[in-house]
Amino acid sequence: MRQVRTTELPGPGRLAVLREPATAALYAALLLSMGLAIFMAFLFAPAERVQAEVYRILFVHVPSAWLAFFAFGVVALGSAMFLIRGRSRWDRLALASAEIGVLFTTLCLVTGSVWGRSVWGVWWQWDPRLTTTLIMWFIYVSYLALRSYIDDPDIRQRMASVVGIVGVVSVPIVWFSVEWWRSLHPTPSVTNPGGGMPPEMLTALLVSVAAFTVFYVVLVRQRMQLELAVAELGILRERLHERNEESA
Amino acid sequence: MQTTRPTSPALAADDLHVRLGQRNVLRGVSLALAPGERMAVVGPNGAGKTTLLRALAGLLRPRRGRVALRGSQSPEDPAARGGLGFLGHRPPLYPHLTARENLAFAARLQGVPESAERIQSALATVGLATDANRLVRHFSRGMQQRLGLALALLADPDVVLLDEPDASLDSAGVGDLPRMLDALAPHAAVLFSTHDERVAHALGARIARLEAGRLTDDPRKTPDLTPATVHTQVRPRPPSLGRAVWAMIAKDTRVEWRAREQVPTLLMFTLLAAVVFDMAFIAALGSEVAAVAVGVLWISVLLAATLAGTRLFATEYERGTLDGLLVAPVDPSGIYLAKFTLLAIETAFVGVAQLVFLSLLLNVSLFRPPTVGAVLLAAAAISAILALQSSLVVSARAREMLMPLLAIPPAVPVLLAGVGITLGALQVTPAGQQGAWFGLLAVIAVVFLALGMVLYPHAARG
Repeated sequence: MRQVRTTELPGPGRLAVLREPATAALYAALLLSMGLAIFMAFLFAPAERVQAEVYRILFVHVPSAWLAFFAFGVVALGSAMFLIRGRSRWDRLALASAEIGVLFTTLCLVTGSVWGRSVWGVWWQWDPRLTTTLIMWFIYVSYLALRSYIDDPDIRQRMASVVGIVGVVSVPIVWFSVEWWRSLHPTPSVTNPGGGMPPEMLTALLVSVAAFTVFYVVLVRQRMQLELAVAELGILRERLHERNEESA
Repeated sequence: MQTTRPTSPALAADDLHVRLGQRNVLRGVSLALAPGERMAVVGPNGAGKTTLLRALAGLLRPRRGRVALRGSQSPEDPAARGGLGFLGHRPPLYPHLTARENLAFAARLQGVPESAERIQSALATVGLATDANRLVRHFSRGMQQRLGLALALLADPDVVLLDEPDASLDSAGVGDLPRMLDALAPHAAVLFSTHDERVAHALGARIARLEAGRLTDDPRKTPDLTPATVHTQVRPRPPSLGRAVWAMIAKDTRVEWRAREQVPTLLMFTLLAAVVFDMAFIAALGSEVAAVAVGVLWISVLLAATLAGTRLFATEYERGTLDGLLVAPVDPSGIYLAKFTLLAIETAFVGVAQLVFLSLLLNVSLFRPPTVGAVLLAAAAISAILALQSSLVVSARAREMLMPLLAIPPAVPVLLAGVGITLGALQVTPAGQQGAWFGLLAVIAVVFLALGMVLYPHAARG
């Protein structure tokens, strides 16, 4: 019998996904915006007076922080909509956004730590902004843990939605921590008119934030599609099981 | 009172689909029962009988289709559940209460008038009159089943759902079933599951067969909804939220008083924490005893509350009594409120005890009005967070492991506020910020209490 190699099996092909116009447009936007952001961060924005080149970590640190806040806001929105409407797509949005939010919060904490080592001389400070960000990270890690500890998909979706809504309370606490408590961490320089950031730096930062946001959209979309495929696979398995039962 | 008029079904299900996990357990079940009618659902193990009964009682949300009680009311409506009697595959009984106390608690939740007479009558009907004042934990499985039947029929319901009512009963008990139903719920529509068709015949029930989540014949064709003699009665008014919450707190307090499961263990835990942490920190910090005392106080309060919080809903879930609370005509937010109150009392108690332990062990004067106030307010704030988290982990694997991970991060601001107030009270730091810390505790308590009351009903039903 002729051996069939896996490459001969019918399938979508590696780049078939790019044939969808919306996906192709998103990937193109991601490549362009990321390319532009990297160019502006390293070549367009000038060196900082005191920190010289080290400050360029800002172009990863700030977009990561912004995306963490945004992602956790989307988790709350998806969770609330799931509880109201009961449609799984809202839960998939919350899950995808939580995973990506945790990823970007981790990136934010790591880049902040590296930057802090250079500026403050230590890897970690028990500063309100740092501490509240770490607590926020724990809250969403526990959200993901809860999901992995509940086997029934329906119960998992509802319980996770409650945590997804409760968890968003941490976002304003992190945001306002630098104003409520004495903090080493600088106050927001983009939203603050007197932030004192030179226009070239500010432009590079905004481009970087935009590029990271496109990256977030791409990741969320991919993760939701993956989760949908997993759910559909479960349904197909159950149908197969039912058919076998009926034929038996 | 009896009248003759056309009737709508006492219980109806239309195209009910329920999925548990990846499995479609019910696949389009439709049925209807006229008032006073009895229906037996028979079928092999795994056919979906228990799931059908739970969905009809509103304990499971169907993915598709709907359930209607008395024509149009949904079982998710607390008021509609006032006329519903439910017995699952496990009677929802508290082992540390007597048979009479279990029925009295159910009567309070259902607003049953003249409950003492009704309870006595129910106990006599199910053959437990002489065992009324015995603790249920000393009952055999069959006696528990009889008591479960009395509990389901206590409020003279219009609709009764019984999951294998003949299970665990001896032959005399099975033979008594028609008499029990006739005496306690003579006008109710009764739907029950059984493996024994003789029970169905003895109860005068028509039989519906459930196989692989489908009724093999369509029982909607059979109910007689032509003008009929209908027994009309005034339904007991469900208790107010406050009365229901008070009934649950009183029940939990009595159970704890008898079982002594939580409070003594928590007290020992806090004493142990005081000793162990003190030993560890005193050697390291030497003279900074006050700072050690403050840290130990708040860490141990948080850990003790987490320990108690893990069991808060789990005990109800494990013994099947959570279903009993959820089918009662009480808004589920009342269940959250009762559990929050119980946890807040326990946490405040161990917190105050820890103030005493640490004051004695470390010779620090912790027992001051701001510190006691902080402990009481923090107990409310921590409990508002933990009661909700506790309800979320009941159906999770390894919930004891998950609970601290889920509960401690949002409780950290409470810890910080408590430490801030106590350090100020001991004059380790300036006392000027105490008002802000108290404000933070109050805000956390109010926000999480509101979130818990809104969100718990979404988490409660499967």
